[in-house]
Amino acid sequence: MNSDPIYRLLQKYWNCETSPKEEQQLRDYFLENDLPEELTHLKPLFTYVNEEQSAVPGSDFNARLKASIRASSRNRRYITIRVFTPMLRVAVSLLLVVGLTLSIYFVSKQYNKPIFAETYHDPNAAIKDATYALMKISDALQASEEASLQTLHYIDELEIDWISLGSLRETRTNEPNGDTVPDTDGGVIEKEFQQEDNK
Amino acid sequence: MKRVFLILLSFAFPFAMFPGDFVNRFIEKYSENERPLTNVNIGKTMLDRMTENTNDEELKNAFKELKSIRMVSSEDEEDSRYYYHKAHELVKEAFSEYEEMVSVNESNSKISVFMKRESDEQQDLILITIDNSDGFSLITVSGKIDFDSISKLSKSLKSEAGINSMGFN
Repeated sequence: MNSDPIYRLLQKYWNCETSPKEEQQLRDYFLENDLPEELTHLKPLFTYVNEEQSAVPGSDFNARLKASIRASSRNRRYITIRVFTPMLRVAVSLLLVVGLTLSIYFVSKQYNKPIFAETYHDPNAAIKDATYALMKISDALQASEEASLQTLHYIDELEIDWISLGSLRETRTNEPNGDTVPDTDGGVIEKEFQQEDNK
Repeated sequence: MKRVFLILLSFAFPFAMFPGDFVNRFIEKYSENERPLTNVNIGKTMLDRMTENTNDEELKNAFKELKSIRMVSSEDEEDSRYYYHKAHELVKEAFSEYEEMVSVNESNSKISVFMKRESDEQQDLILITIDNSDGFSLITVSGKIDFDSISKLSKSLKSEAGINSMGFN
């Protein structure tokens, strides 16, 4: 190929006026080896496209493709989980509530002290109120004990015949049917009451 | 909206599950400015210091394993009746796990003692009392409560001459 038209084409190329066909002519020209010395520096510019077009897949292309497919199927599984996201949110919230509750329970059980501000800083001042509080409890316990003793004393004063009541219950539990008193057993009861009357 | 509800629930649920301290709840719920109350709180640290400071063996035994003593009182007659009933209401409403241990109902005084036993080391006691001389008293004691030592306190302290100067009968 004559070099003059090439110079014209190059001029058009730099002016951005070349057609695709003319650009192909330029690329074909620069594939030749016997280029004028002043044009050799332009060879990489025009051979670049041809070199890239001749690129072939690497030896690990299949492996990379399979890995990519596996990754995309993994993404699809993630999408399945996302369908249940609202349920997961509720579950996580409940877990948080239960966790918080258990934490507070164990912490409160471990320390088990009410939250309050100390009234006193001096133990000698505090001991008066502390003793008063325990005295009140002590008085309450003693009042309860006294009330129980008074009740027992009152019952004692009623002079209930516990022996007769006990015998009556024993007799009733020994009854064959539990409803009627047989003649023989009735005699026993009558006898016991008579003994009490004699007293 | 759901998020806000869940966040509120997560905060409210633990507090709903555990009623908290009786005295705190009582003051929060029933205390009124027109009906003044006196409040005394003694915690574990102070109780330990008191145990170290006192020479009275009965007091030492009574204090040594307690974790807190709290008191709320009112001397006004009408307020005392009001708070006495409110304290019983609170026990029924929010502290039903406490068992009634003592109930004395006399003409000049009423005493109720409620107790919750969590373990040998941890008991919680609530004393609610009203009488003509002292008015209303609400006392809570927490920790390992030695009832033998406490029941002996009256006898030992009353026998001491100094007890009258402390304002006890």
